[in-house]
Amino acid sequence: MKIRALRILPPLAIARLGSSPAPLENYDIRVPERDPLGFREIHGALTFVVDRDSGTIRRAYTPDSVRFRDERGRVKPVAPFLEVWAEAGGKLVPLTAALLAGDKLSAADVEWRVQVGNHKVFRRTGQMADRVDADSGWFSGHHVKALAGKCANFLPRKTLPFGDVQFIKPTKAFPEIRFRFTPGKGLIYGSNDSRTRSEDVADVVYDSGRGSWSGYTDDNADPGAIVTNPSGIYANLEDPATTSRGYLDDECDGIVEVRIRGTKLAAFARIGAGPPDYAPDSFPVRTIADELEQVLLGAGVAAADVSPEWTEEILRRVFETVRLQNTTVLNGNPVLNGRAANSMVTQDVRRGRAEEPIMAPAIVDSLAVRALHQSVFAAMRSGSAAWFAEVLREFEEVGDLTNAGRRKMPAMMRGSDGLYLALTRRQHNAVQASGNCQVNAEDPAAATFTEPAPPKKKVRP
Amino acid sequence: MRSSIQRSLLPGEHAKLPAEHSWHDHAVFLLHVAAEVEHSLMVQYLYAAYSLGGAALDEAAHETARQWREVILGIAKEEMGHLITVQNVLRLIGGPLHLEREDYPFRSEFYPFYFTLEPATKGSLAKYVIAEAPEEWLKTEEGKEVVARAQKADKGRAVRRVGELYEQLIDLFKNEGALTDADFRGDTGPYQASWDEWGRGYGQGERGNVGGTAPAKTPDVLVIRTPDRASVIDALERIARQGEAPTLGRGGAPDEKSHFKRFLDIYHDFPASNPPSRIIPTNPRTAAQGDGDEADTAGPRGCTRITDKRSLLWAHLFNIRYRKLLFTLKHVLYVEAGADVDRPSARGNLIAWAFGEMYNLRSIAGILVTLPLKAEGGDRRAAPPFEVPYTLALPDWNSDKWRVHRDLIAASEQVIHQLDKADAPRHDYLRALRDHDKRNLDIIGRLEENA
Repeated sequence: MKIRALRILPPLAIARLGSSPAPLENYDIRVPERDPLGFREIHGALTFVVDRDSGTIRRAYTPDSVRFRDERGRVKPVAPFLEVWAEAGGKLVPLTAALLAGDKLSAADVEWRVQVGNHKVFRRTGQMADRVDADSGWFSGHHVKALAGKCANFLPRKTLPFGDVQFIKPTKAFPEIRFRFTPGKGLIYGSNDSRTRSEDVADVVYDSGRGSWSGYTDDNADPGAIVTNPSGIYANLEDPATTSRGYLDDECDGIVEVRIRGTKLAAFARIGAGPPDYAPDSFPVRTIADELEQVLLGAGVAAADVSPEWTEEILRRVFETVRLQNTTVLNGNPVLNGRAANSMVTQDVRRGRAEEPIMAPAIVDSLAVRALHQSVFAAMRSGSAAWFAEVLREFEEVGDLTNAGRRKMPAMMRGSDGLYLALTRRQHNAVQASGNCQVNAEDPAAATFTEPAPPKKKVRP
Repeated sequence: MRSSIQRSLLPGEHAKLPAEHSWHDHAVFLLHVAAEVEHSLMVQYLYAAYSLGGAALDEAAHETARQWREVILGIAKEEMGHLITVQNVLRLIGGPLHLEREDYPFRSEFYPFYFTLEPATKGSLAKYVIAEAPEEWLKTEEGKEVVARAQKADKGRAVRRVGELYEQLIDLFKNEGALTDADFRGDTGPYQASWDEWGRGYGQGERGNVGGTAPAKTPDVLVIRTPDRASVIDALERIARQGEAPTLGRGGAPDEKSHFKRFLDIYHDFPASNPPSRIIPTNPRTAAQGDGDEADTAGPRGCTRITDKRSLLWAHLFNIRYRKLLFTLKHVLYVEAGADVDRPSARGNLIAWAFGEMYNLRSIAGILVTLPLKAEGGDRRAAPPFEVPYTLALPDWNSDKWRVHRDLIAASEQVIHQLDKADAPRHDYLRALRDHDKRNLDIIGRLEENA
């Protein structure tokens, strides 16, 4: 069977930092049927154990339970596998040693390259010399390949360890072509000046004599640099100017490429490493997956895709999110000697708005807010149409600081632009269309008694 | 021509004091009547709204019924706001809160019509129009015609305007000789309901008017805090204005936003026969009136028994949740507003539960109107009975107030348990409801610990 093309699946893999040498076991998340409003349950799933010396999968098993820390309390990293798939015989199939052999190729012909970087400092200072990049170069074989981040402004011989990668050696039991990315440990690295506290950092890597990161403030950022909104969200001296301590972390993202020597077959995927998930049984109300889905499928929702279950999932994520929040503080109820804690309320003051709670202070404790959303969830299960599309924040309303605007849902949270969070247009349209779907149900006897949601104008193509 | 509300503002016209009342006592009495009237109207309007629709309608009629239903549901929500505002006024003058509903025979001439849960008809709409009408409109040709139809629908009794009651109340509160400043308790603010809490920040049609089905800026739920005499008068006038149009205006057109105008618009278009309503009974009941007889009864107190076993269970569940809503409303008005950030807030949770119970009532009503009314089958569907609980009194001790919530959840659990076996298609909802109750029991435990 001729191999016509390659793919790396998944095309985007997110690793999670951890200092344990043992990677986290694989798991699935399920909603318990007996407890529909409860926590999602974590169930062990098929897990590969890799012998890092030989690069082979030593065994595969399904764990009875999943522990996120090892016996010494160290966080286990999430180390994703990337699988190479081949278009062959008109189908997409896993690339195996046998499939390669069919084209007179072998695993020894498979080559990899990984280029990852951490450009957080560069983003602020605008100095190319502040980019931290690692490039494995093309390699084959099954040894562990370290990803050492290099930076022109680092001290001599100092690198930032982004973790490592390994081409998994195919065996009879596991013949597939796989690759594994094990991220960094989640450590902090500092600069060689007095702003770095030795107790904070694993190593001193940044040369303050060459680069400006230690002592940097967003106020004197290069005009070409892109600061975050809100600004100043880096380790700083906690002074009014938010002066940087010159710290770096070992997160990274980049590209994994695969090619087969002597052919034109090649593919690539994206990888990234982020902080550990400390609430793995909850999902945020809006995720990167929602963004990607919108990019891929558009903001409009096909009639066949509309379902109450979709809205139900969004609602579930809402009360899961609320569970993790101190909503009374986020609402701007007075704390800390009568002043509001840092929240959207205090952010709004910077935009010229008077400081006052978003909702009535008495109704925002997280148990009450969660109970309210769970009531809505239960009502939807009775067949009630989703009647609450009106209270969702429209995408164009994220900067509306009126009382009514600030009280729209999702409440008290900000998007990456620093303004109030809105669902994606696609999510919004899904809720809207779900209401319509039930109101216009084929069986008109199925009563909903809710405000139906007819405005088709809101469903954008 | 002066409007009824304008006329009530004239000095020197005061309500007559009944023989056994002081002025303060009389104000409390009239507020109790107002609370009962608002509660009754709300329930009857909800029932009428729930009746609209059904499998027999074609697409166009279905859409019309949907629009009318949304308008009437909006009015019912506004009546809920009136009911809560009346409680605030009771708080201010130190009267006992009152969430019970009118009973028969009438305790006052102010009740607009016999309490009747009935599907929407031209006759029932005529009653609603008259109850909400401004006085001057009754004298118009159209007014006279609707008055006659309403009287016929009210078993021969002339329908009274709710505005008359509010005129009396406004007069009384303006009369500084009748109610003195000492009758007003300025320290009750933290115990009064606020629009921010109960309207959740949504006013003037920002919620509940999707697609502009209802007139612009409706529904507009008025929950008004009343810290003093002036605010009471303002609140009562706004409630009255929302019910009836304060004036017919130069062109003879009433205010678009008034209940009167909204009902009149529906009345104009509503067919005199074959209404777009479900086949649901008048005054559905779960329990026989004393003797266990399952027969339906006629007359002003006539009722229709729900006898289908499964429907009966759902009706019982409805009644329990209705009682839980009313009890929760009463309980929350006894809890001071606070802004603690380090513990669960009783007020916040009770308000969330009240909204939850409103969702439950809507959900269960939606299920009931699709189920058979009678054990022997037939076309008639069941409907929400809204039966008045034996008591809504709050126990004296705080722990016992929470115990009532536990009792009601336990009662609900028993019915859910039976229903879970009898109504597999609704299993998902019942399981979610039971799970939610279980979580609320946990919250009750924490609230008691913090008390």
